[in-house]
Amino acid sequence: MALRNPTGLHARPAKVFARAAAACPADVVVGKDGREVNGKSVLSVLTLDCHQGDEITIRTSGEGAEDALAALVRLVDSGLGEEGQG
Amino acid sequence: MSTRLMGRPAAPGAAVAPAFVVIPQIPLEDDLPKERTGTAEEETVRLRQALDVAEGQLRELSRTVEVTAGEEEAEIFEAHAEFAADPELARLAGEAIAEGASAERAVVEAFGTFRELLVASESEYLSARAADLDDVRDRVVNILLGRSATGEAPSVRSVIVAHELTPSQTASIPPDVIAAIVTETGSPTSHAAILARALGIPAVVSCAGLLDALGERRELVAVDGRTGEVVVGPAEAERDATARRAQEEETRREELAALRDKPGRTADGHRVELAANIAAIQHIPAAVEAGGEGSGLVRTEFLFLGRRTAPTVEEQVGFYAEVLRAFPRQRVVFRTLDVGADKPLPFVEREPEENPALGLRGIRLSLERPELFRDQLRALLRTRAAVAAEDAGRLAIMFPLVSKVDELVRARQVLRAVAEEERADLAGVEVGVMIEVPSAALGAGRLAAHADFLSIGTNDLLQYLFAADRLVGAVADLADVLEPDVLGLIRHVIEAGHAGGAWVGVCGEAAGDPTVAAALVGLGMDELSMTRVAIPEVKDALRRLTLEACREAVLAAIEEATDAVEARTILEDRLGTGLDSRPG
Repeated sequence: MALRNPTGLHARPAKVFARAAAACPADVVVGKDGREVNGKSVLSVLTLDCHQGDEITIRTSGEGAEDALAALVRLVDSGLGEEGQG
Repeated sequence: MSTRLMGRPAAPGAAVAPAFVVIPQIPLEDDLPKERTGTAEEETVRLRQALDVAEGQLRELSRTVEVTAGEEEAEIFEAHAEFAADPELARLAGEAIAEGASAERAVVEAFGTFRELLVASESEYLSARAADLDDVRDRVVNILLGRSATGEAPSVRSVIVAHELTPSQTASIPPDVIAAIVTETGSPTSHAAILARALGIPAVVSCAGLLDALGERRELVAVDGRTGEVVVGPAEAERDATARRAQEEETRREELAALRDKPGRTADGHRVELAANIAAIQHIPAAVEAGGEGSGLVRTEFLFLGRRTAPTVEEQVGFYAEVLRAFPRQRVVFRTLDVGADKPLPFVEREPEENPALGLRGIRLSLERPELFRDQLRALLRTRAAVAAEDAGRLAIMFPLVSKVDELVRARQVLRAVAEEERADLAGVEVGVMIEVPSAALGAGRLAAHADFLSIGTNDLLQYLFAADRLVGAVADLADVLEPDVLGLIRHVIEAGHAGGAWVGVCGEAAGDPTVAAALVGLGMDELSMTRVAIPEVKDALRRLTLEACREAVLAAIEEATDAVEARTILEDRLGTGLDSRPG
């Protein structure tokens, strides 16, 4: 899926994503350009250096994997809590 | 013998006090125990505990900083806490311990792995995070070594001197013993400088040769945070001069505070309303405290973003009433919902767009899907009725992203229809448009015929005028409100607005810069709405200038300057609004 929020997976949005992932019982893997990292780790997510418009993949496995995936996709789609500017 | 040094000014203020040198905390790697002495399990427990302690300290620090400095500064330490709590970091360090490393060594290695990845990314933002990582790493290692994680604090008021000062170090020294901060490295935008400004502590950064000049002596240091001048071992005359500057700064702080309840105007009495932008309910007390005369922009988006269902009319009334009550008798401009495909709402179904900035957003979306829009207008009118008997603010409504007259006419029709349903009287409710699309700026005259006010949203207007996204670092500098032709366009909007009987304001970041504010006033701007922190300085700057001086300066800038840099020089030379030439 494509990242729509202005900051990509940096700063606050990275934290918002990792926190949401950490709250899921399932394992969460985020990938960009073939590199995959633990989605629960904000440091790992940062190292992917994802910008607005980048395509990322999210994979989940284990307990509640489907729910976790749906929730995370929704979160990314909703802009990861970023407020716009006027 | 005194030594005079020059650094970059980072936070205004002046002070003379003994130096307190903060020793760099980066523990020499050779000092660290290389191999663990206990079992892997014991060492892993030590590691876990140290990470937990670090996380706890950082969350605590974040709360303290939120109170002393502010929310944005507190974010720095929230992010640090997340680093300390990172599961991958703990996993990497755990692996190193399993292979025989000490917890200290394991922490250094694990942080080092992430540091390399961040620095290798070529992203300026991520590279800058390396310093944050180092800060957290040192904290964890210090905890493991049983050292004070934050270094020593001086017992008397001192000038804090360091080669480099981490946010942790800055925040861990009690503000009342910090007379000033001077560092050999760093930039005015570094976290330490931001904290210093938020705390009102004078600071100078990039002051080369400082520690050499100081040597082993605990000398007096005189610091001027406005000029960047630092004198080590000042002579009596220099001490006196700095003490006088400090006194002047103190007087200035008091002067600015005393302006709180004074209206915005020029030296010759020309009235300019100085309002605060409000983007969250928590901003209100600070906006009032800063002397904001109402609000020229209440962003209502945050009521809608991040939720699964739309807020009810009642919920909205509760919020809007709180804003109106905060600004008795003053105007409060509510901008109706401004969302686009980049900020999709789960309760508004819509197609994704390739280019949300140019898509179905703002008033376009409100007219296309009027349900939310009608509810919001209903809530605003009900709020007005609910606070009518109180000494509350005056409701004004502003439509975002209007590009043509027809949109404004249709939006007003919707408002009238809702008012009829609510049996609400629209008399006294000002209705305006945000001028943020180039076509609206060009067509300001036609819009003014149907509007009570026009408010220039400089952020988006500049972005659209220059086709430059200000969040894209490589092109962000292209757009500048002081480009002579942009000033010319703003002059057109003001003249066309006034000719059509509308007052004209501005509600972008630009209004918070005293130089820009004076230029806009010179062009005839009636109202400036800005970030709350900028209000006192802008109010003070305008009260020292006549309308005529502002007008002459901005006309000279439009006619003589070839670009924004020159325009700024012309304005600051004539008005004395530059950072270094500001009075006090």
